[in-house]
Amino acid sequence: MSFIFNLTIREIRSSWRRLLFFFLCIAIGVGSIVSLRSLIQNLSKAVGGDARELMTADLRISSTNDFSPTEIAMIEEVLAASNIVEEKNEIIETSAMARPAKSDNRTLEFVSLKGIEPPFPLVGKFEMPGGKPFDFKLLENRGAVIAPILLEELNIKIGEKIRIGEAEFTVRATFDEEPGGSSGFRLGSRVFVEKKAFEEAGILQNRSRVNKRMLYRTSTNPTNLVESLREKLKGTTIRVQSYRETQERLGDQFDRTENYLSLTGLLILVLGGVGIWNVARVFVEQKRRSVAVLKCLGASGTKIISVYILQIVVLGLVGSLFGVLLAQLALWYARMSFNDALPRTMSYSLSPSTALQGLFIGVIISLLFSALPLLQVRTIRPNLLLRDDNNQNLRKLDRTKWLAGFLTLAGLVALSVWQAGSFAVGVFFVAGLGITTLVLYLSAFLLTRVLRSLKYLGSFSISQAINSLYRPGNQTRIILLAVGLGAFVVISVQSLQTNLVREFDLTRNQSLPSLFFIDIQKSQIGKFERLITKSTGEAPETIPTVRARISHINGKAIDYQNKEVRQEQGQIGREFAVTYRQNLESNEAVIEGRWWNGKPDVPQVSIEEDMAKTLKVEAGDSITFDISGRKITAQIVNIRRLDLKNTRTAFIFVFRPGVLESAPQSFVANVLKRIPAKDRQRLQRDVVDAFPSVQIFDVAEIVKVLQNLVENFVLAISFVGGFVILSGILILIGSVALTKSQRIYENAILKTLGAKRLTLTVILFAEYGVLGLMAGIIGAVFGTGLSFAVARYILDIEWELSFGLLVSGIGITTILVMIVGVSASIGVLLKKPLSTLRSPQ
Amino acid sequence: MITLKNVTKKVRSGTEELTILDDVSLEILSGQFVAITGASGSGKSTLLGLIAGLDDPTSGSIDVDGEEITEMNEDDLAALRSMKIGFVFQSFHLIPSLTALENVLIPMEIAGLKDAKTRGRKLLEDVELTNRGHHYPSELSGGEQQRIAIARAFANQPSILLADEPTGNLDSRNGNHIFDLMTELHKKNNVTLVLVTHDQELAEKAQHQIHLRDGRIVSDK
Repeated sequence: MSFIFNLTIREIRSSWRRLLFFFLCIAIGVGSIVSLRSLIQNLSKAVGGDARELMTADLRISSTNDFSPTEIAMIEEVLAASNIVEEKNEIIETSAMARPAKSDNRTLEFVSLKGIEPPFPLVGKFEMPGGKPFDFKLLENRGAVIAPILLEELNIKIGEKIRIGEAEFTVRATFDEEPGGSSGFRLGSRVFVEKKAFEEAGILQNRSRVNKRMLYRTSTNPTNLVESLREKLKGTTIRVQSYRETQERLGDQFDRTENYLSLTGLLILVLGGVGIWNVARVFVEQKRRSVAVLKCLGASGTKIISVYILQIVVLGLVGSLFGVLLAQLALWYARMSFNDALPRTMSYSLSPSTALQGLFIGVIISLLFSALPLLQVRTIRPNLLLRDDNNQNLRKLDRTKWLAGFLTLAGLVALSVWQAGSFAVGVFFVAGLGITTLVLYLSAFLLTRVLRSLKYLGSFSISQAINSLYRPGNQTRIILLAVGLGAFVVISVQSLQTNLVREFDLTRNQSLPSLFFIDIQKSQIGKFERLITKSTGEAPETIPTVRARISHINGKAIDYQNKEVRQEQGQIGREFAVTYRQNLESNEAVIEGRWWNGKPDVPQVSIEEDMAKTLKVEAGDSITFDISGRKITAQIVNIRRLDLKNTRTAFIFVFRPGVLESAPQSFVANVLKRIPAKDRQRLQRDVVDAFPSVQIFDVAEIVKVLQNLVENFVLAISFVGGFVILSGILILIGSVALTKSQRIYENAILKTLGAKRLTLTVILFAEYGVLGLMAGIIGAVFGTGLSFAVARYILDIEWELSFGLLVSGIGITTILVMIVGVSASIGVLLKKPLSTLRSPQ
Repeated sequence: MITLKNVTKKVRSGTEELTILDDVSLEILSGQFVAITGASGSGKSTLLGLIAGLDDPTSGSIDVDGEEITEMNEDDLAALRSMKIGFVFQSFHLIPSLTALENVLIPMEIAGLKDAKTRGRKLLEDVELTNRGHHYPSELSGGEQQRIAIARAFANQPSILLADEPTGNLDSRNGNHIFDLMTELHKKNNVTLVLVTHDQELAEKAQHQIHLRDGRIVSDK
């Protein structure tokens, strides 16, 4: 054993520079896995770690309608029987326009209004400035507690009054953090008022988009209570949810994200593994003589392999430790770059279990990828010290190598399955990786074949450069594979990013209105139209809307308490704004059935394509809508496709005129004209002064928020892409370093034969230029292909080829390979030939 | 004692089969100093390599101290070399990543000997390189490297020392020094010394001379 330990330490001491690359490959891979996993874990903790606080209760019962006395009675009955409810409160949420009460202050803001009653919150707490406790008295007698940014937006001070709808509230305080946090996508800053005042002030009159919730704190786990409530509330649209379900749902989502991101990390680590395999392969070839000497001195193959395996474990472990350090640095970088987009309470430290996991994966990947090359040690015969015959034996595949190959593959699959948290995804990942590698390798093989036939077409330097790519022990295909793979990932990510940004560039949609109004009452519509026409010179487009809920499909009632329906409730259980009109809009096309025709016997409705798929309905089926308690059954006569990129409004359900005219309805309106920001603000204020219950969406502002989200997403992808580029560059540097001695020898001969340093420099540039060009072509072609496939078949967005990206991808790869290759070989040019030629090869 | 019976070694070179050793039989007594001479390509080094078990003969048998080595597997052969055979090469074959002392220690560490360092230093003293122990091979002259190789060959007190042109890469002064060192250690430790050499003058000093031509023994005196 002492021989194995001693030799391992001595080998590491003398070879650490050469193995530095090995070390970095592992470090980058482990760093990416640990940082991505930690980032998601910390985010998960910050957002959904404590679902009770997020919900501010143990149990929530919600509805977009008023709870009817019968419903309340049913709920009370179940709650009383359970005997676990400790406390309850009710809250109401809606959006509204808030404006200062002072007539000279003409600001206006869209706010997210929450009416609460004591005790609030049941779980969690307000964080008030200076650490003061929240006192419900702040809200009494028409008080409001608001998000601090609203003070700036409305240009008001604490103590001043704001108007919401017809009611006035005095701003009594701001809060630092509201119960449940402020994460997630929300339009408008939060304003808390008393629930009682909310109702008294008539804020709910003529208002859509209202959410009513009853919250409960329970003494024990509310799961059984939730089941009983759902059973009792069958046939209603009331939603019942416990914090545990929220926790599970959020946990599942974060777990899935974490696992997919870990696979991305694993991809980077596998890239590092390719580098390791390459280092180990060349390392063993360089060590042939030393191994033969050791065998000659009596060391068995097993002992020698043990030395190298121990060396790999040590390097893998130290590399992984360095990777963990890199991960921590990456998290700090994320804090600097994404601070605004991430929750304020999020931690940026690594969890010990993730770090340990990273160390384990790092060591395993080191062993898996170096196993096959290391096994070549067995086939090194000591007689090469007497007669250095070729090393064909070294590469021969025997039963042990097949077994090692199989174990490597099995190990990789096991790691992927573990990291993905799914057998199918893990296997798919490895298969995908294998096919990609094979295709890239074959392309590299074909390209080098083509290139070889071109070598007589260029100058001496070019032919020499091409010759260099075929020298014995060349790294050409490995570099092409590694750099090509790096370019492939980066170019596909960049191409996807370009297409995603283009897809979400809402400013390209010329049909988008600049302002969008909702909740305009029938009695207000004439005055509203006149006001808009006077201000903008153009009449607004007004559309009648009726609030409707789906209650039956083909006569079968939808059970909103059913688990599957509950999961889709955001889509099908919500209240829809439906309209009625005679014509098809220009951005719509009928894809099944026919637009209104003939004289109808029954109410008719047109349904949007995706909703038809969700509801599993087709033309001829029937849907029963609940409109203010009245059931209307309509026959689906056609299915429409909406061009969302060229739309002003998108109605899922459109009724044939003649049915809804007498139903309670309000109007939505668009102002299409492009208006400067200041005028938009003024117009909004005029409208709200005249019609306090109307809500206005400043589309330009919403677009800005959405674009910000897309930009953050793109930045996150680039963050991951950065690791991939780094791995590719590392493999390139490593490969160059591995062939350095051969290059020195060839240069010494060329110098002896009269080649000038300039000629040698040109050869070097040409060699790496050609290599980079080929890698760039491989990466660009396959990267573009992948981005097309993902865009069209997974993200379902339009895809456009970007020639600029293609050319710059190839160009940057070529230049990068040239710079890295030449700078890693610069010492070769400076070395005097005599010392090289004297030393044995 | 080393006994070779009808040993033939053939190798494939491209499509051709070359006979390196052709039906060689010989006997080397324990403690003897034997010189093997012959022109380049006559099969001297191959013969030495076969005795050390560094390669397998195509046919025939080789017996080293009563053990038939042609039947042994790689690990058994490695163990045999570790305990019984020391080897000195023309181009030294020191491990470049280890210091001089570490190169000497290696055989003892492989064999799991205790107190290897003390003996290693003693061996360096024997070859007059006490102060060069911490140097790497690349920092030593050819003569010094070969002395380190000799110290390494004697590390496990082998009963047989095989030397393949040990003075071939050295100038005459260093060559003589190395030869004297080997013969001195051979006498002092009563080791069987088999020396492959081109140098007729050195071969004359051996107790037993074998001359090879085209893979066959043409004289044995």
